[in-house]
Amino acid sequence: MTPSDGAVVRRVLAGDVEAYRLLVERYRLEFARYAQAAVGDRDAAQDAMQEAFIRAYDALATCREPDRFGAWFFRILTNQCRNAVARRRSRVSLDDVDPAGGDRADASLERGELAEALDAALARLTPEQREAFVMKHVEGRSYEEMAELLGVGVDALKMRVHRARDAMRTMMGALR
Amino acid sequence: MMERDSFSRAAQRYLDGERFGGGEGAELEPGERAVADRLLAEARAYHARLSPLPSVLDDAVMEAVRRRAPAHRAGPYQWLVAPQTVRVRPFWIPVLAAAALAVWLAPRRAVPVPAATPVAAATPDTVFVHFELAAPQARSVAVAGSFNGWRTDALAMTRGAGGVWSVTVPLAVGEHHYDFVVDGSHWVPDPTAHVQVDDGFGGRNSVIVVGPKGLVRS
Repeated sequence: MTPSDGAVVRRVLAGDVEAYRLLVERYRLEFARYAQAAVGDRDAAQDAMQEAFIRAYDALATCREPDRFGAWFFRILTNQCRNAVARRRSRVSLDDVDPAGGDRADASLERGELAEALDAALARLTPEQREAFVMKHVEGRSYEEMAELLGVGVDALKMRVHRARDAMRTMMGALR
Repeated sequence: MMERDSFSRAAQRYLDGERFGGGEGAELEPGERAVADRLLAEARAYHARLSPLPSVLDDAVMEAVRRRAPAHRAGPYQWLVAPQTVRVRPFWIPVLAAAALAVWLAPRRAVPVPAATPVAAATPDTVFVHFELAAPQARSVAVAGSFNGWRTDALAMTRGAGGVWSVTVPLAVGEHHYDFVVDGSHWVPDPTAHVQVDDGFGGRNSVIVVGPKGLVRS
């Protein structure tokens, strides 16, 4: 039987460092796509997730609800992803990016091209809007799941997603 | 279709998955529905392009935490003796009328523990810590922290005169995080703790550091 998060956390805190791998594997699989979509770069997402796991380990004794380790870790990961995005933005001039994809955005767009156009548009959202849009439409989570993970109310999350969609619509206007 | 920069309320509901009444997107103008569907298709295409991160990440994390393995235990003592920034919280009165708290230490054999307070046997590396919380309206108060697995029912406090709840707990030398649990579900940070840390859920954990011979920073 797979041990619960709480059981694993207590084992780690009791000195069984190797047990931490169970949590790392569990939440690498759970949040890998989120991290990539939130950061917009696979390598940077991997770095962000690695740093998040190490920070979570360092702070494990402060995890008040070990059975909700996933939600606790997710918030650490979210912060690391935001840091990664900020670092990327400092290196990349977004003005060099064509979010709409110009005249490529017609009915015959290939899947990869669509994804690239979306990636460029996502890069122009605020961090909160991007997180919300990714969780809702890329990962397909319900608002209730998002609220549990982000610790934000459903109404506020809907507002973020709505604004993100409007911004995406504007940026990807050529797709209309 | 009329060009617009934002989705209509009906389109937002459709994109939220609220498909009651009239079927999926039936109330939408066809052109706007096409735009909405296009956005959803884009998101699906984007998702399809993402892939799991490799398990080598696990190895890198484990290598790092093995090097930091003693951190959970050695860290508190290092924190005790090392220069650091201490965040002093503005005076704050908890909603639950927790008015005052005193945390004092009773080093082994140096200061007697109040007779009315049950205390577990201390070991040579253990110091008695007395927790108090004034909560006259509370029906129950407990202290929960890293020293008891954050269990809310393990260290019940005893109500005393004036609604002051207290318990004395033998704590190992090191750093401990804790909060009070009022009426079984309300988490109340220590109003007098000088150091608090983010609990990851939008709240704060109080911090106490117990040093050898009763030296404490809280």
